[in-house]
Amino acid sequence: MAFAATLGTIGSLRGTGPRRLSWRFLWITPLVAALTITTVYPGIFLIALALSDSRLGRPFRAFSGLKNLAASLGDPLFLVALARSAGYAVTSSVVQLMLGLAIALLLSSLVKSGRFLMSFILLPLMTPPIMVGIAWKLILAPAGGLLNGILTNLGVTDAPISFLGTAGLSWLSIGVADVWQWTPFIAILCFASIASLPADVFEAAAIDGAGTWQTFRRILLPLLAPQLAAIFLLRLVIAFKIFDLIYVLTFGGPGFHTTTASFHIWRRALEQFDVGRAAAETLIFTLVVGAVTLPVVWLAKRTAAAEAGHA
Amino acid sequence: MHSPTKKAVEILGAALTVAFFALPIAFLISVSFKTPDDVLLGRFLPTVPTFENWPTAFAVADLTQFIWNSVITSIAAGLLTIVIALPATYGMVRLKVGKAWLPDFTLSSYVAPPIVAVLPLFYLLKTIGLLNSLSGLILIYGFMNLPVAFWLLAPFLRQVPVAIEEAAALDGAGPLLTLIRVVAPMIAPGIAATLLISIILAYNEFLLASALSQTDAARTLTVGVSLFQGERLQNAGQMAVASLAGIVPVYILALFGQRWLVKGLTQGGVK
Repeated sequence: MAFAATLGTIGSLRGTGPRRLSWRFLWITPLVAALTITTVYPGIFLIALALSDSRLGRPFRAFSGLKNLAASLGDPLFLVALARSAGYAVTSSVVQLMLGLAIALLLSSLVKSGRFLMSFILLPLMTPPIMVGIAWKLILAPAGGLLNGILTNLGVTDAPISFLGTAGLSWLSIGVADVWQWTPFIAILCFASIASLPADVFEAAAIDGAGTWQTFRRILLPLLAPQLAAIFLLRLVIAFKIFDLIYVLTFGGPGFHTTTASFHIWRRALEQFDVGRAAAETLIFTLVVGAVTLPVVWLAKRTAAAEAGHA
Repeated sequence: MHSPTKKAVEILGAALTVAFFALPIAFLISVSFKTPDDVLLGRFLPTVPTFENWPTAFAVADLTQFIWNSVITSIAAGLLTIVIALPATYGMVRLKVGKAWLPDFTLSSYVAPPIVAVLPLFYLLKTIGLLNSLSGLILIYGFMNLPVAFWLLAPFLRQVPVAIEEAAALDGAGPLLTLIRVVAPMIAPGIAATLLISIILAYNEFLLASALSQTDAARTLTVGVSLFQGERLQNAGQMAVASLAGIVPVYILALFGQRWLVKGLTQGGVK
């Protein structure tokens, strides 16, 4: 008995106080260390770099104060690139959320073939973006591209269209390739959200004689709003990351027409080697990403709270 | 109500969806069997299929080496991600370690576009001597994909009944033993999905690899293919071969793991 009691005391001693806290912290230590390397350290390093005169081969040559930040904010090419990034992120997210929801509705009404369709649309999601770009480049090429071949054979056009070399069409082309890559992900998330809704609501609507459109507009959309807001937020975050497709399809052209902030910064750092200036631009870009995403975070939280209030 | 019309719309929608998502890959396959002259005709199918592009593409570019580099890097990085993410997610979700701040911090670290990390990580790897090495890429990818892994794993862990862990604790198992022996087998599909997605994300990555690994010996496939575009691979047929060769490993993975992938992605990460 005494032995057991001693063991018990040791056990409870071990289970309390600051010592227990430090042991528990081991569970998350590797994660915290990794996030420090991928997030905290880059943030601090970029601030230091932005305040210095730095070349890729020779960083921190001299302290330059706010010179890089001021130059970036006064550079119309960079400001336009920022606007493009934000504009593209919002536009492509809206379009892909609508298309993704449509495909998700299709998946949920086609019960058996829906399962096949779901496995099938996993493939674009898994395809390396560089290869996605090459595939679409082959389709859209002026010489020997599939689309131009079809248009010429149908007699719609006389001369081949340079889809990637024409201002407006180049963005449209990137958008289509991006839709191909990411809409399946949105569709799968929307499908999961629809599947999680209570079935009896739809049965009740059917008994009341509600049509397809009415059920969608009056029941499905309001119930789904919190999830849709969360999916939109996720898509928005991903849209700001776009780089590979632009690198392969247009390389920022024609002119600077498809140069996003990421691409602008990449050229500044790895083609012009002006890493001080690139760091300043990166900091500004991060602020813009935050400024565009935070309202959506707020919106998503508000819709979720409103939904919880109703229930 | 309009049942036949609705059915027709659905079938048409499904057909269009399949056609759109199959098109680029189908065209890549077709172009890989075309001669340069045949490519210029702009037709869907090759007039007379040629098999020359396949051996030529592998001969002019060191595709085998690049694919091998990508496969090694992505598998090692995926395993690293799981080894860090599983205990950390368990610690946060079940043991409430750092629960007040770490989940939000982990997820918000995913928001920054990858261009943000390029320069800092370039100098970090340069300092520790891991620039232009697969080990450097493995570490970076293993760390970069942690927010995604947390996002995927957390819903699976939340669904494990607390009673099971309590029973394991009564039997004298510590939390680590409980996680390895009891909880991990229960959420095996979730772990498999997370591992697969981490591997695929690492395999597909381009931007960081292009800056952090610039020698032939340590080049991954996405970078290799982008470099040879228009350089060594002169024609579209060879480009198509190189792209397909890079796609095949991920599609094989997706084919075998499709059940886990669908489960992992539909587990309710957005709730």
